[in-house]
Amino acid sequence: MMKIKTRTWSCLIALAAGLVLRPVGLMAGDSPAVTNEVKIDNFCFAPQTLTVPVGTTVTWVNKDDVPHTVTSDDQHFRSRALDTDDRFSFTFSTPGTNNYYCSVHPKMTGTVIVR
Amino acid sequence: MHGIIPGSAAAPAADGVLLAEILMGFALIGGAVLARRRRFRAHAACQSVVVLLNLVVIAGFMMPSFRRAVEPGIPAHLGRIYYWLATAHGVLGLAAELLALYILLAAGTALLPDWFRLVRYRLWMRATLVLWWLVLVLGCATYARWYLRFG
Repeated sequence: MMKIKTRTWSCLIALAAGLVLRPVGLMAGDSPAVTNEVKIDNFCFAPQTLTVPVGTTVTWVNKDDVPHTVTSDDQHFRSRALDTDDRFSFTFSTPGTNNYYCSVHPKMTGTVIVR
Repeated sequence: MHGIIPGSAAAPAADGVLLAEILMGFALIGGAVLARRRRFRAHAACQSVVVLLNLVVIAGFMMPSFRRAVEPGIPAHLGRIYYWLATAHGVLGLAAELLALYILLAAGTALLPDWFRLVRYRLWMRATLVLWWLVLVLGCATYARWYLRFG
């Protein structure tokens, strides 16, 4: 009986603490997280078009079981062959439209728009 | 950009190489048939054209592609099927091409010294044809693994 009571109080305290702390957490994260990650899956870049502010670092992660690369049309950035779960990051420091493709599978294309 | 082979993510050049290699494999068999019919000049011309054309394809397309996409992954990722398939295809393919070039030089020219010439031509030619076809099958498997979508 005593054990049940203790557990009930523990739950109530935890619930109350959660209710108090949750708004604080919301205030700390004042805007939803910006997605700067491009997944490579099933021979596609997703999202295919990504718009980011200047200075953003975009990360590509290969979720396919085949190697892919991330190569910009103007060779401004170029990854090595990315194996499964490998990542490649690039920081966009100037505004513009950056078209890229996979050099192994050139039909795979994507765009990063920097504003 | 649309390739030659439907459902493939390969560049049109890779599709072209695959089709060319399959045609060359059958041309070599055709050349072997010519030899059995004792049409040796036609046999020599057919096999020579295929071997030299293949050399151009290897140097112009396969080697650069291998160096760009496969070489950075070996030996670290050799355990993964797409790397070991491509590596086995590359190593055995190079061996088949060198062997075929050696046979061309030994059988078709007087460039090699006597001690370096073949004795049992027929055996070496047949062995090279078998190796060539093994490489071709590995090449088709490599193409499927790298460029075709499954599931």
